[in-house]
Amino acid sequence: MDVSRISRRRFILTAVAASSVVAAPRSWLPGSIARADTPADPVLIRLTRLLFPHPGLRDDVYADVADILFTSYANNAATGQLLDAAGFALDEQADGDWFDADEDSQIEALRNIEGEAFFAAILAGLRGTFYYHPKVWTHLDYPGSSKEHGGYKHRGFNDINWLPEVK
Amino acid sequence: MAKQYALSDDSVVVVIGSGAGGGTVSNELAQKGIDVVCLEAGSRLTLADVENDPPSMDAKMGWHDKRIGAFLWVCKTVGGTTMRWSGVTPRLQEHEVRALTTYGQIDAGTTLIDWPLALGELAPYYDKAELKMGVSGTHGIPLSDENNNYKVFNAGANLAGYKQITSGRMAINPVALDGRPGCQQIGFCNAGCAIGAKWSTLYTEIPKADLTGHFELRANSMAVRINHDKTGKITGVVYQGESGELHEQKARAVCVAGNVVETTRILLNSDSALFPQGLANSSGQVGRNYMRHTFGAAIAVMPQPVNVHRGARQTGILFDEQIHDPGRGFAGGYQLQAHGFDPLTTSNIIGGWGSEHTQFLDNYTKLAGLFITGEDPPEADNRISLHPNERDANGLPVPVIEYRNHANTNAMRDHAIAASQRIYESLGAKHFWGGDAPVGCHNMGVARMSADPKDGVTNRWGQAHDVPNLFVSDGSVFSSSGAGNPTLTIVALAIRQADHIAERMSQKMLY
Repeated sequence: MDVSRISRRRFILTAVAASSVVAAPRSWLPGSIARADTPADPVLIRLTRLLFPHPGLRDDVYADVADILFTSYANNAATGQLLDAAGFALDEQADGDWFDADEDSQIEALRNIEGEAFFAAILAGLRGTFYYHPKVWTHLDYPGSSKEHGGYKHRGFNDINWLPEVK
Repeated sequence: MAKQYALSDDSVVVVIGSGAGGGTVSNELAQKGIDVVCLEAGSRLTLADVENDPPSMDAKMGWHDKRIGAFLWVCKTVGGTTMRWSGVTPRLQEHEVRALTTYGQIDAGTTLIDWPLALGELAPYYDKAELKMGVSGTHGIPLSDENNNYKVFNAGANLAGYKQITSGRMAINPVALDGRPGCQQIGFCNAGCAIGAKWSTLYTEIPKADLTGHFELRANSMAVRINHDKTGKITGVVYQGESGELHEQKARAVCVAGNVVETTRILLNSDSALFPQGLANSSGQVGRNYMRHTFGAAIAVMPQPVNVHRGARQTGILFDEQIHDPGRGFAGGYQLQAHGFDPLTTSNIIGGWGSEHTQFLDNYTKLAGLFITGEDPPEADNRISLHPNERDANGLPVPVIEYRNHANTNAMRDHAIAASQRIYESLGAKHFWGGDAPVGCHNMGVARMSADPKDGVTNRWGQAHDVPNLFVSDGSVFSSSGAGNPTLTIVALAIRQADHIAERMSQKMLY
């Protein structure tokens, strides 16, 4: 196809932001752009999940992360072009609509474009957003800031009990 | 209390930078009654500004001016990179300061030299530096507490046959010392220590210098050029204030300690009719021989929980491999250092995506980790230079940083990764990752000390071969990299340099 789903949604998002209909649309889907409670775009959720596949991590967390990154990217011409390039390249790899391909084909398409600069830029942005997100931390059992709890001096910094004795 | 000096006061020593080198040489000079103006490009934070939030702390204190090429993980803030460092403080070893003699010239590309001073000469200054910084396990100071990640590292290393492992040699107070508290095992050392248990010049050297009445810190003051008279004697430093306005602080002598990129930039940017290749650069060596260590990381999924996020980021050094044994297939040696990582850092280090990546993050509570730091040989083409026409937001030429691993570095890294794998697999690790970690936190060599002025930029005191009242006071003066973290050696050299400057001044031999 000529224009990827990602590009179409980015165009709509940008237009919406420019017309100030909504400040921060939750979805890039045509027809539902003005509704803040609609789920985030399934293509971007899919992309985020395939890049960082954590079994058991719910779609709404992927949606939160995808929204944060792609909203900021879409509203900037330079980073927006990265999204356009990724959408075009994925569709080209899938010989149609990447989103409609099966999972193995989707992953293969990603593997085929992972050497591209736009892929590296999007992956880096997504990584920084994803592994810095409190809901992801909760899933990983990582508690974040500790100074307000007095650190771990009295909270298990040396509580490991399964190691063999060292002479 | 803190003094203020007139711009026209040419009796002061101007120190450029307030980190391990600049902060230390400033305080040491001020303690001797020598007047010092310290120009720091960044702002002065307080402990209250420190959050357990690496990205926001990076925004507050990281160096973000435009640079091209290899990344350096350094700071633009009062305290410099001592705000961000982990506190690991090993000494150089005998074979390392005699690098050329011990290893020979590795190949046509390497530019190894020996240090122009003996290790024994540095020893008393190492003692002073360790006492100043409160290095654990030295001079009667207790060892650091053993956290979970250390215990895994130590147990695995013992099973793998290693013997020389310590939880000491950390400049993080194991107990209250020097008016600062003991470590509370908060973690987030690299986002700044929230309680000041980790040594940083922000709350040690700088306030101590303030109390002498011989010191003025000028924060938000970016040094851009060093001026000289027609005889080549340094006369002052031009710097940009907060709103970009230029000032010149007159000076009796100048100590440059901006970390390797800024030290190179100010020297090269101070070219003149007398010094057409840049200041102190008749040898052409300014910016060359840039070293940043063989640097790697290993991360393993252990069979049971470790909770690597609990406590100091780094505790634990393994010294067994810090030897020169050509039988291993490379010159010089390395250390393994237990190191814990938060999820984002883990992801950044492992890199990639997909299930090969998430099998580590999905087991975050079971991760154990370490850093590899080892000697990298100097090469003339590993260098920092200035872009011929590109300028940054301050109107300064953009630095270009070129660094590639030598084959010796790759061979050492691979050996270290194999050793790390044995350590963790001896305890039944489920998954192991080892690889490069191009962090750019150990930066050395661009104004190196050399016996022969043709080989380097500075002499055995860090004094420029070409310009008697110009000194370099940061890791730029390292003649070779050694294996270990450079900060202790930077501090020891800065103390020694301050003694030398004071002595030369008292003999009226330094203007």
